Amino acid sequence: MKYYLQLTITLLIFCAVGSGILAFVNAKTAPVIAERKLAESIAAREALMPQADFERHTAKADSTFEYYVAYNKGTKEIKGFTFIASQNGYAAPVKTMVGIDKDMKVTSINVVEQNETPGLGTNSTQPFFTDQFKGKPEAELQVDKDGGKIKALSGATITSRAVTNSIRTGIAVLRKDLETDSNAAKTGAEK
Amino acid sequence: MSFISELTKGIIKENPIFVIVLGMCPTLATSTSVDNALGMGMAATFVLVCSNIMISLIKNITPDKIRIPIYVVVIAAFVSIVDMSMAAYVPALHKSLGIFIPLIVVNCIILGRAEAFAGKNNMLNSMADGIGMGLGFTLSLTVVASIREILGNGTWLKIHVLPSTYEPMLVAILAPGAFITLGFLMAGMNLLKGRK
Amino acid sequence: MKDKYIVSPAPHLHDRTSIPMVMWNVVIALVPALIAAVWFWGFRSLLLTLIGAFAAVLTEAAVQRFRKIPVSVADGSAFLTGMLLSFNIHAGAPMWLPAVGAVFAIIVGKQVFGGLGNNPVNPALLGRAFLLASWPTLMTNGWVAAKRGAISGMNDLSLIADSLSTIAPKAHALVTSATPLKVAQTLRDSTWVNSLTSSPDLNHEISQNIFTNLFDPGTLKSLFVGNIGGCIGEVSVFALLLGALYLLWKNIIDWRIPLSYIGTVFVLSFFFGPIKGSSYSIMLPFFHIFSGGLMLGAFFMATDYTTTPITKSGRLIFGIGCGLLTIVIRLVGGYPEGVSYSILFMNVMTPLIDRFTMPRTFGEVKK
Repeated sequence: MKYYLQLTITLLIFCAVGSGILAFVNAKTAPVIAERKLAESIAAREALMPQADFERHTAKADSTFEYYVAYNKGTKEIKGFTFIASQNGYAAPVKTMVGIDKDMKVTSINVVEQNETPGLGTNSTQPFFTDQFKGKPEAELQVDKDGGKIKALSGATITSRAVTNSIRTGIAVLRKDLETDSNAAKTGAEK
Repeated sequence: MSFISELTKGIIKENPIFVIVLGMCPTLATSTSVDNALGMGMAATFVLVCSNIMISLIKNITPDKIRIPIYVVVIAAFVSIVDMSMAAYVPALHKSLGIFIPLIVVNCIILGRAEAFAGKNNMLNSMADGIGMGLGFTLSLTVVASIREILGNGTWLKIHVLPSTYEPMLVAILAPGAFITLGFLMAGMNLLKGRK
Repeated sequence: MKDKYIVSPAPHLHDRTSIPMVMWNVVIALVPALIAAVWFWGFRSLLLTLIGAFAAVLTEAAVQRFRKIPVSVADGSAFLTGMLLSFNIHAGAPMWLPAVGAVFAIIVGKQVFGGLGNNPVNPALLGRAFLLASWPTLMTNGWVAAKRGAISGMNDLSLIADSLSTIAPKAHALVTSATPLKVAQTLRDSTWVNSLTSSPDLNHEISQNIFTNLFDPGTLKSLFVGNIGGCIGEVSVFALLLGALYLLWKNIIDWRIPLSYIGTVFVLSFFFGPIKGSSYSIMLPFFHIFSGGLMLGAFFMATDYTTTPITKSGRLIFGIGCGLLTIVIRLVGGYPEGVSYSILFMNVMTPLIDRFTMPRTFGEVKK
């Protein structure tokens, strides 16, 4: 009995020491990591919409949908919007960072997270696919098989649809939100 | 055994992938491209060396009956520390290697070497074993990944090595390609060993 | 003496059937389908078939040399594998495709496991699965229309006085450029149907119209003769049936697997085949059994001795399983056609089926 107690206590000590060290390291690194992540997402937004200040908004109708209003750094006018569009692809959700201008036309997109089939769906991150979104209005954002202007990746229609449709629905949500809550943009502009 | 032979045995004679057949999940999952393989190999080697050293140091105070849970605690703690410090202080490296770090916890090479070697040998030899095994793992992973990337993508380390008329054999970078490549490489190793 | 040669539980009777005789007879039975292919697509299809067959023979000989065992390519089994593999490729495919597929089929599908009689799955189908996974665009794009008709077997449909090409160009493109099963699959895609024109009623009408055209007598006749686009060996139901009858007459294949396979597809496609809004029709199952690779698969691939059950009830289970999977893949899966994958899947199940259907030894008492 005493032997087993001894074993238990030994293991307990090991675990305690281990978690103590982990807690210490975590306390040291957590703020640094958080800062880094924030800087990264700002950098990602700025890559889409250079020379702009961002303000975060949450859609009224759909609290999971977040978008950023971009203001021109000098004039404080609305320059455009960015949001992350997400929809299930062939394997997992495909997340795309989207930048659109104030006329609701896509300025550029960046597929930031995907787990699609190598050689087929993974081509969605390639410029030859993402570049064709530039300047497209909402109505044209459909893959060619569905009557839109986006040329689907060969062998990866599902992925192409996921990217294209998620962007289109994202723009629709954003547009509706701006219509019902036009103050969001205005108050921002006055700042 | 001498320090040198501990260091080199992991590369061919006791190659962790082709001979001991350890760490199959990361091998199949991360050998889709050479840069992934190198990243996984280096991250695993680092953790393997650290955990081997640590475990050989504490082997005298580890009761035999509960050595496995203690190894798991040590390895998991190491992996988490590596993950957090890399994310905080070397973000560029973390960006390319970060996705492999959680995989290392389930990499049975680490626990396998802790149990089979580091728990019974002194610190220096355990370190040599860790380095050797890690190198063997990295090398084998790179070989598998080279075949898969060249056949499946026409590239090696993202550089085009085959003429542009080559139609990539996609199956090589899909999961079945990993099994087929690994199977043929193991058969090749056995053939070489049998002919000696 | 009904089941001569075919491997079965005791008692065993000997006769003069041999492996070369079986294999070369199957090759002979495939000749009508090859003639049909040459008739519809010209000599390119013959060339592709021969490339596949000889690549398989050469690979088998090379591997047997390497393994230091007697070279047995004269038995025709490698030739047959290569031929069946090429039959699964369309006539517009590049010349190297059947060769690469045959090399893979022989090495990974057959010799790795120890050669003839030891392969767990049909090597030709494994080769096809490999090609489809490796070069999906080469395998599924670029169908060549038969010389005498549209790829889908349907010509331009006229609809409400106007031609389909002016009302819905996308639908027109589909009926003139996709294989029949691809047309059937696309019609199930509601996103596609809704995007045809701006009017939902018209969309519905167009899709219904195309769907009923799939199994009208004209299209079924094209399917039966083989006047459609498809893989080299699969299109002409008539030619394949000729070969199948020859094999049945020679007692080389057993009727159980083809019958239960095709029968299952027939019954299931009657009940589950219609698309939304269309009614049951006894002609629709004929579309399903005539199209795609079902005839080729059911008579020539699902009857392979090595990879199918040896018991009679096991063969019925095998055929029904293949039929079920084929219909599931065709109607709800991502591929238009599922014959090859369903046979491969059931090949893997074969030992299990054999185990459960093995008859008890005479006199054995049930435990």
